Amino acid sequence: MSSQLGQLRLISSVALRNLWLDRFRTTIVGALIAFGAFLAVIGLSLLNDVRASMRASITQSVAGDLQIYSANAKDSLTLFGGSGFMGRTDIGNLPNFALYRDEILRHPNVAAFVPMGLDMAVLARGNELDDSLDALRSAIKGEDSAIIAGRIAQVRFQLEQVGLELTARRQLSADQAELEQQERDLKVAAAPEFLQDASKIDEAKLQFLETRIAPLSGEKLPTYIQYFGTDIAAYLANFPKFHLIEGAVLGPGERGIMLSRKVRDEQLKNSVAKLFDKIHKRLTKRNQSIAGDDECRRFASDLKKQYQQILSYLDRADAEELSRRLTDLGIAAVGGDELVQRLSHQLTLFLTVDDSNFEQRYAWFYANIAPKIRLYEVSPGQTITVRSYTRSGYIKTLPLKVYGIYNFDGLEDSDLAGVLNIMDLVSFRELYGQMTEASRRELDVMRAQVGIKDVSAENAETDLFGSERPATTVAVNDIRKAAEPLSVKPRLADHFDPQELQRGLALNAAIKLKDSGKEEKTQQELIAALENRGLKANIVGWQKASGIVGQLVNIVGGTLVFALAIIFLVAFVIVNNSIIVGTLNRTREIGTMRAIGAQRSLIVNLFLAETGITGFFGAVSGTALAVVVILLAGRLGIPAGNDIVTFIFSGPRLYPRVHWAVVTTAPILITIVATLASVYAARHAAKIQPADATQEKE
Amino acid sequence: MTAVVRISSVEKIYPLGKTQVHALSGIDMDIQEGEFTTIAGPSGCGKSTLLNLIGCMDVPTSGEVYIEGRPIAKLSDRELTKLRLEKLGFIFQSFNLIPVLTVFQNVEFPLLLQGRFSRAERQQKVSALLAEVDLTAQQSQRSSELSGGQRQRVAIARALVTGPRIVLADEPTANLDSATGERIIELMKTINRTHKTTFIFSTHDPQVMRQAGRIIRLKDGKVVTGQDS
Repeated sequence: MSSQLGQLRLISSVALRNLWLDRFRTTIVGALIAFGAFLAVIGLSLLNDVRASMRASITQSVAGDLQIYSANAKDSLTLFGGSGFMGRTDIGNLPNFALYRDEILRHPNVAAFVPMGLDMAVLARGNELDDSLDALRSAIKGEDSAIIAGRIAQVRFQLEQVGLELTARRQLSADQAELEQQERDLKVAAAPEFLQDASKIDEAKLQFLETRIAPLSGEKLPTYIQYFGTDIAAYLANFPKFHLIEGAVLGPGERGIMLSRKVRDEQLKNSVAKLFDKIHKRLTKRNQSIAGDDECRRFASDLKKQYQQILSYLDRADAEELSRRLTDLGIAAVGGDELVQRLSHQLTLFLTVDDSNFEQRYAWFYANIAPKIRLYEVSPGQTITVRSYTRSGYIKTLPLKVYGIYNFDGLEDSDLAGVLNIMDLVSFRELYGQMTEASRRELDVMRAQVGIKDVSAENAETDLFGSERPATTVAVNDIRKAAEPLSVKPRLADHFDPQELQRGLALNAAIKLKDSGKEEKTQQELIAALENRGLKANIVGWQKASGIVGQLVNIVGGTLVFALAIIFLVAFVIVNNSIIVGTLNRTREIGTMRAIGAQRSLIVNLFLAETGITGFFGAVSGTALAVVVILLAGRLGIPAGNDIVTFIFSGPRLYPRVHWAVVTTAPILITIVATLASVYAARHAAKIQPADATQEKE
Repeated sequence: MTAVVRISSVEKIYPLGKTQVHALSGIDMDIQEGEFTTIAGPSGCGKSTLLNLIGCMDVPTSGEVYIEGRPIAKLSDRELTKLRLEKLGFIFQSFNLIPVLTVFQNVEFPLLLQGRFSRAERQQKVSALLAEVDLTAQQSQRSSELSGGQRQRVAIARALVTGPRIVLADEPTANLDSATGERIIELMKTINRTHKTTFIFSTHDPQVMRQAGRIIRLKDGKVVTGQDS
């Protein structure tokens, strides 16, 4: 025992002294291994952190631990950043999710089953005049004469602006006849008596303004929104990342939508405010300057063209007031007495921002202008019109009340998580193209009104075209005159029977587990349980369900392992080479040891000890450095540079933790691998013959 | 007297490119226990090759070498190594101390390889030998801090520490001045007498040759004469 210890002591002391004698080489090899260990520990620790935070992001916002969807899906389920046609994936549907739910809830590890459906639709948008007319319409319903007068003033002021636009258009338009007609219409609307008496503003006048005048003020581009329909109560109970910011959540049996804050901020906010926000964010969060950042310069250049976005929300009194305040601010009015022209000029100057005036203008905008304009196109309490292309190809339009504005905690800035709006499952089914009981009733009423009857295929020709009769021509103008104002607002109940959420169609469903550590096992068991019942479905883990984003951690992990493999490969090639080169200088020493009785194994062990010691100290110092860096980063947080990273970090910053499992195993593994990697070189050294002891030094 | 080394019809051929070099041919000799023998001859006559064969560092192309009656030609590398460790001691022309070890550690090295002595036993054996070669004061120094004569005395101590039957020395005085060389040979002779250790050493120095009890002269790989002085 003592002599074995002695031999060990001998080997280690010879190894240590050799390492010391060759300190340059030892340092290089040690530093290389330290670098590898540093990267390995940092990389693996971050990977663990990211996996945990991303898991939280995904499972607690939409996905749950597992997702179930139809076995007949054409695409795979992609909850974030879908890749199907126009971002729509075709995952089929579960015609009656209750069958699956009942079976799945039987599993002891399943905590909840939340039916869902993910889709996208067009949000119909009017222009500012449409908005003002809507406001006037509801003011008239409200019968408050002061409010009505205010709304009328606003509409009139906007009509003045339309007048100016038409004058400008006169020089550009090729169809002078059409332009003249438009001018005649405007003249009717702008005539003092047209809107003078509130009691005489009837539906016909409002529709004239909506159909003939409002379109003159330009159309806004329709915007696409992504949404998922779900059982709201079940969703809220199981997804803690949901956070209501404004308004209310949908109650049981209530039909409506909750908009994502990000969607509202980016697509439905007044464009002046939006540009102010964007510049402000880049200046404060990214420490950019307007002069030094291309993006900021572009926003600033767009901003000064947006005066119309303020002007069109004002009435004459507001405009006068604003012009005066701008003059007080030092932005003088030039351009004569004409208010619109004068204020346009002042606003253009106000919206011309640079690094010296931005913060002041930004604050001034929110203090003085924002309260006078409509900051958001849509706010809780309003009803929006959503138009979807159903799976059978026809268009379905649905009015939906906006209940609230929400975001996912920690994912406030993430585009990926921020694009999703949430609606009740029943409305979702309608937009998806499924006949719900409510829409069936509505259709029956419409059929009765219009006199549609079912037509069988055999009798189609007779029924549709009837017997021959002479064609008559009707002048278009006659049709216009004859047409009564049509009620275009669909009539749908605001409520549905909550029982409808207990069965029926869903595209997919989130399954929450009691112990998420048993995800894979439960997944297998659920698939088997469904198969026993003759039910087929895809059940996938959250990572797969979330699409490419969920795979990102695996991709990053794979890349990391690959990079580490390359680094270690290079390190080991260098270690081996340096040992082989080193043996040339040590031939006599090794030969002497062999001559006086050292077995080859001792020489091998000696060399392994040398790399083992270098590897150990390299790995330990690399790990120690990594721990220091992780602790430091844990205190400061690693900022998420872009949206995808924000999502992965589950927030704007990642606060890494020291993972002791990584810290303790990495150096041991690296030492072992480094030692084993030098076996070839060590065996090469052990081939030196004892007779080489007599070789003279060169 | 028994022959500790017997060499019988030994031939050693080295390949050199497409030709062959006959380093040794038809060597026959016995070396008896306790002899103080020198192998003499000019450079390239085969002295080192013969010493390597006796030292079990190499095996003959044909013929046989017996160490204490045991033939070595068929032994494995492992067995040859063990034989060297147990039965033989080596002294090299360039001393061949392990540079990273102290004097004490260098002498202790073969005992550690043998692995059967306690720390105290090793301490005792090494100290005794260092006293014998008069290096007790230098035991903690490294070889680089010693003179040539001191280094060779360390090498002698290391060669003797396992109590070998035979000590082989390849030109032990070649790197020393003549006075030091003489003292080294003197020391070897003393040990030969007191320990009854067989010494076989090569030299081309006539001064050293005269100290030998027996001179075996080699020329072109063959024994010219074997003479007892």
